[in-house]
Amino acid sequence: MRRIIDTIIEKVIFSCGTLSVIFVILIFSFLFMESFAFFKDFDITKFVTGRYWYPDSEPALFGILSLIVGSFLVTLGACLIAVPVSIMTALYISEVVSKSVRDVLKSLVELMAAIPSVVIGFIGMIVLVPCVRKLFNVPTGLTAFSGSVMLAFMAMPTMVTISEDAIHSVPWQYKEGALALGATKWQTMRRIVLKTARPGIMAAIMLGIGRVVGETMTVMMITGNSSRIPHSIFEPVRTMTAVIAAEMGETVKGSMHYKALFSIGLVLFLITFLINFVADLFLGKNKNK
Amino acid sequence: MVDKIKVDNLSCYYNRKCVLESLNINVIQNEILSIIGPSNSGKTTFLRALNRMNDLDLTYSRRGEVYLDGGSIFDISMEDLRRRIGMLFAMPTPLPMTIYENIVYAPKRLGLISKKSEQDALVERALKDASLWDEVKDRLKSSAMKMSGGQQQRLCIARILAINPEVILFDEPCSGLDPISTVKVEESMIGLKQKYTIVLVTNNVKQASRVSDRTVFFFMGKIVEIGTTDKLFVSPKEKQTEDYITGRFG
Ligand SMILES: Nc1ncnc2c1ncn2[C@@H]1O[C@H](COP(=O)(O)OP(=O)(O)OP(=O)(O)O)[C@@H](O)[C@H]1O
Ligand SMILES: [Mg+2]
Repeated sequence: MRRIIDTIIEKVIFSCGTLSVIFVILIFSFLFMESFAFFKDFDITKFVTGRYWYPDSEPALFGILSLIVGSFLVTLGACLIAVPVSIMTALYISEVVSKSVRDVLKSLVELMAAIPSVVIGFIGMIVLVPCVRKLFNVPTGLTAFSGSVMLAFMAMPTMVTISEDAIHSVPWQYKEGALALGATKWQTMRRIVLKTARPGIMAAIMLGIGRVVGETMTVMMITGNSSRIPHSIFEPVRTMTAVIAAEMGETVKGSMHYKALFSIGLVLFLITFLINFVADLFLGKNKNK
Repeated sequence: MVDKIKVDNLSCYYNRKCVLESLNINVIQNEILSIIGPSNSGKTTFLRALNRMNDLDLTYSRRGEVYLDGGSIFDISMEDLRRRIGMLFAMPTPLPMTIYENIVYAPKRLGLISKKSEQDALVERALKDASLWDEVKDRLKSSAMKMSGGQQQRLCIARILAINPEVILFDEPCSGLDPISTVKVEESMIGLKQKYTIVLVTNNVKQASRVSDRTVFFFMGKIVEIGTTDKLFVSPKEKQTEDYITGRFG
């Protein structure tokens, strides 16, 4: 009897695993097929390097350079804010406060991850956008910068939790060894703790970036949705995700526009896939040590 | 005979629980002082009070004074204190870098050396003093984590010697080592006595009798007996001491 249950459980687990792999392959091939059909009619270099996204003009223009730049700017800004803040938060939680405070802080940070992106976008719209407009004296507060700030909030829980785990798992012997040699607490953190935890922290950053790149709702609400190549982060931008979300409902199934959106999806998929892959490399490196 | 360290009425607490009670003890310059006693008698706590490693624990508090060369250790910075009082832990604690980097890490940071040639000389001298040079001289650039436990422990000794402290604290340095490595560590300890003052905590009563000049017996956070090693082992004054060193309890 136990043998039979064992085999059944084994089979169920195996089919679940296979199923998820099959889904990924299906999604990928679906994206790939639609995009392939699109690239038969529209030059792929024009698609990637074209500056204008006018799907309704005659002839229709499907250049996504401004969208790539938009996504890139917002993501870069979010990282510049979220990475240092997250690492310092993680260090503080792991190394400075007592254990009970650590538990509280950590669950608070994890709670932050549970805030829906609509709510984050909403708060950004009401609070941040007017502030940005007044503070930087720009015509509209709906800018790449606003998007970056709010996305930084969304990336931080992932970054903080995973880097905190990495920092916390640095053997205490390393710290004591360095301290006993007369290193200050700060030197020990920088030279020993951060250095040892680096693969884990890199993975945390990559996973955070993955979240930022794929985020849709918040950026749609507060980055202004203007598909022009911006000159600074204080101008409105449009991201790849926002275009897909906003326009997919209006297109005719099977049209060029429809396929073009799938091609953007493919580009996004490749980017996030790459980021996750790099993150995995770092995490794997961590384990082998 | 000069007192290197003088402990005056020191009491230590974790979470307000008294772990060491009103200790008075002195460590003489260039001696090896052994501390023996059963588990939980506060030996490690005492050692870590001397270079203020305990102060990192938020639940720790203390009363009383510790003097190094007549000055209170609480008047100098922790970093300076730990440069003057080095510590070796029970588990080897090499840093995750190469053998070479492990040794130059602290001296470089403290600005004791800068030139490459000085570094090379320092590494060689420290490794020789810790009787490790012959075993690792061809693989200085390989990771310290790949050495055996005994080698790691002697690397940690070399690392302490490289910052040229005045006192070295050993906390059960041989508890994880095989008999041959133990003999090597003991040999380097006796060699070090010429230049340094040594406090050794050990679970191994025989080790205390082999290497130390004086021995203290700790029990339940108090000093039961202190005396020259010969006297304490041959004719202990207290019944508890005798029971412990003859292995009847603890
Ligand atoms: N960080 C700490 N927090 C709370 N209590 C502690 C801490 N370190 C030690 N203690 C307590 O202090 C007492 C003395 O511990 P200590 O480590 O000094 O003993 P020891 O003599 O070194 O024992 P052993 O021979 O097992 O190493 C023990 O009761 C221990 O539980
Ligand atoms: Mg101990």
